[in-house]
This record gives sequence, structure tokens and C-alpha cells, in this order.
Amino acid sequence: MLINDRYNTEPSLIMHVDLNSAFASIEQQSRPMLRGKPIAIINRRTEHTAIVTASYEAKSAGVKVGMKFREAAKLIPGLIGIESDPPKYRYVYRKLMAILSSYSPNVVMKSIDEGIIDFHGVPLQKTLIEIGYEIKKRLREEVGCAMRCNVGIGPSRFLAKTAAGLNKPDGLDVVDATNLRKVYKTMKLTDITGIASHMQHRLNAVSIFTPIQFLDTDMVSLQKVVFKSVNGIYWYQRLRGYEVDDRTTDVKTVGRQYVLENRDLTHSQIQARLHNLCESVGYRMRSQNKVARGVHIYIRTVDRKYWHTCTMSQIPFYSDKTINTIAQQLFLSAPGNVQEIGVRCYELSNNDNPQVSLFNDEVVREQQLVGAIDDINQRFGDRTVHSANTLNTGRFIKTKIPFGSTRYL
Amino acid sequence: MNDELFLNEQVRVVAVFGDGLNPCRPLRFRRLNGREFDITEIGLRHPTMQGKRMLHIFDVTDSCTDYRLEFDAQQLTWRLTREADHVDK
Repeated sequence: MLINDRYNTEPSLIMHVDLNSAFASIEQQSRPMLRGKPIAIINRRTEHTAIVTASYEAKSAGVKVGMKFREAAKLIPGLIGIESDPPKYRYVYRKLMAILSSYSPNVVMKSIDEGIIDFHGVPLQKTLIEIGYEIKKRLREEVGCAMRCNVGIGPSRFLAKTAAGLNKPDGLDVVDATNLRKVYKTMKLTDITGIASHMQHRLNAVSIFTPIQFLDTDMVSLQKVVFKSVNGIYWYQRLRGYEVDDRTTDVKTVGRQYVLENRDLTHSQIQARLHNLCESVGYRMRSQNKVARGVHIYIRTVDRKYWHTCTMSQIPFYSDKTINTIAQQLFLSAPGNVQEIGVRCYELSNNDNPQVSLFNDEVVREQQLVGAIDDINQRFGDRTVHSANTLNTGRFIKTKIPFGSTRYL
Repeated sequence: MNDELFLNEQVRVVAVFGDGLNPCRPLRFRRLNGREFDITEIGLRHPTMQGKRMLHIFDVTDSCTDYRLEFDAQQLTWRLTREADHVDK
């Protein structure tokens, strides 16, 4: 052990809980006849769609997340495709959150299937390992016997997450100053949370090929040579178990995209779908109490070409009508052969009682109208009131589970 | 691809209401054609809102087929909304 004295030797008081193959496990829980069978969760009932989650039975045959269902079905002919069921997943998410929140007031849900419990300042009657096993037991009792989770314990969020990824499924591990070096020896660079292929190439370029080499690189080299930013310092500390990830990120953009259901849609049909996306983006943005100044749209064509454009406004806006007007204007210059469309609002700021001109009745009326429509939709269900132009598009563009964020759950 | 049939059939259900984590437990249901099914396991029960109306969705099985029963808490009615492929024991 060369530089053990520099590792964070604080007690392990962070716990990371991660549901195993969450959506697939929830489906197998709710439908007992699917247990033990290879299933894949998809967002659309077509074999061209990508797999969102696969059960462990499917994963063992080589099915991976992101793979096309058709390709996966070649690997396992009996593969069952199940369309995702967001209300069910939200219910399990809330159950998981309730279980985690019963142990500490400091719980942060990182995504729909994982959460972090911070035990700092919490009087403990049991060890964290005992609590970890208790959470697993409660999950089986309160949600269902098919539910499994991985629990990771560490002195920082990063090490707890690393521990939660070690022995899947149903593992419980502790990674701290005493064993982090040993754990890194068993891992590849891309096994580290936050290191994907692009970052791997960057590290490889400076002769860092393993997590141990990454760990042993000094802080100055990481800062000045590898990352050329403060991120180098963060990585140096993160790898040693110091907490650098305890911060909340503000929402910067709100967007949605949609892959067209078929390629024969007319221009006006695509415009209607774009309008639907704008309504969805507007609703999400307002739910976060934000206003935007920019709209960005993109198109991916059938021959995989990417086209995008954006525009900024001087005055902040937040109504569906304004977002749609700007997006439709941008869409006029879009290429043909559209396969996928996306719209995103950016330059967001808080909608903190914006001052309205005394003489601008139209703005006041719009604010009241948008507020009333949102109230109705909240009370009577999503898209109870929507633009006539988007009629019948709702059955194609369904609300799906957003990954990586729990803002809209 | 998918193994489910989507339905919207009113069914008659025998259920018990008790306490604990699952206070409502459907035990048996009868379809319009007169066939009866004994529920051997409730996979998952989750509530969902249809506007202001609360629906309790029960994903259940009779050990051969998975079904979805929806209990409308306002109308106090049960509907069979999904039936999966039959699996031989």
C-alpha cells in the first residue's frame, strides 16, 4: 500500500441502493409467469425498437441495454418484449424512496431505480451492513419477492456507488480506504462511474490503462495534463474516497425527442408531432418553475444525418404556444426524410414573479390561460386540454420514464 | 413480441379487505362468459390516478395466466384489462 495515508479514512456513512434490472424485475414481480424467463423492456411495440432493460435471464444470453429487439431476439428466440409501464415503475420508485427515507432524512434519489442515504448525523442503532440487509428484506416484503437490489457502502457517494456495482445481482459490499485499491484492481477503466469510452481514450492517451494507474497518477498531472481543468482535482479526490459529488445540479435544459412511428408521414403530421413535443416541454418547464429564452430543434434523417438549429429570444417565455411558434419557424428550414425530431428549451431561469408591463394585457392573459390549462391537466389527467393541432398524436407520443433524473417523476 | 391481450371487461370479483401492507386482496373473479379463476398470487398492486379518479391496479395470476384487474375506487367496479398468454403448468 503506497499512498494509503492519502485515502479518506472517515467512517463509511454513505449507502447507495440500486435496484437490479429495475424495470424487468418490476415486470417479473407484477407478472409471476414471467419469472425465470428472458424478458426485455421496450418503449414501443415494434422489433426495431431499442431495449431499455433486460432481465438477468436475457442478460446471461448476451442481451444488452440499447440493443435492437430484433437482434436480441436472434440471441434468444423466446425473448418476450414488454412495453414499459411508467405508472408501475413510479409506484416502486415511491416505495423505494419511502423505505430509504425511513433511515435518514438525507436521502437523494439519483434516478428512478437508485438512491443514496447519507447517515452523517443520524444516530445509528445498527451497523450499515445490517441496515443494508434490512433494506433488501423490506424491499421483498413491501414490494415483492422478485425484487432485488445491490447495496454499496462507502465514505463517499462515488465509493458507495462503486460498491453497489460489484456483485450484481443482490450484492452488498463496502468499499473504503482499507480495500479500495484491491477493488480497483478487479475493475476496468470503463467500470468506473463517469468513465465512458470517450474518457477512456483520453486517459489511454496519457498511458492510463487501468483504474490503479488512474489512482496512482498525481493530482497535478490529472489537472494539467489529463483533464486540463479542475475536474482533475475532483477525480484525484474522488478516487481516494473524498466527497466531491455532494452537490445538486440545477436544470439547464428541458427537452423531448421522438422517433416517428413511420416514414410516410406528411409534413403537417410531423409538425403536429413537433407541436405535441413542444406542449410536453412547456409543461415540464413550468413544473420546474422555469422560463426559457432559447429553443433548439434537431432532426435525424432516415440516412442517419443530423441537422439542428436554434434561436434565442430577448424576452423569456414559457407558454406552449410561444415554444411551438418558435420551433415551427425553425422547422421550416429542416431537411426531408425525417426519422427523429427533438425540441429543447435552454437558457432557463427561475420564473420568479416576472414583472409584467401594465400596458401588456396580452401577456397577462396568456399567463392566466397557461396557468388554467396546467391546472386542468393536473386535475383531470395529462393532455385533457391540448391544442387541436395535436389531436390523435398522444397515442403515438407517450410519456416514458426519463433516465438519470427524478425531476419529472 | 408481446404476449398480452388488452381487454376492458367488467368482471365480478371476490375480495377480502383486511389490514397490513396489502389491505385489499382479490381472491377469485368471474368473467362474462361464466368462467371463474382463482387468484393464486398478487404480483403487484399499484394505484394510479385517472384525473381525480383513483384506480387500483392488481397484476395477478392463477398460476397459468397473468391477468390485470383494475378496481375503480370511485365507481367500486372491477374490470379485467389484460390477459397474458396461457402457460401450461
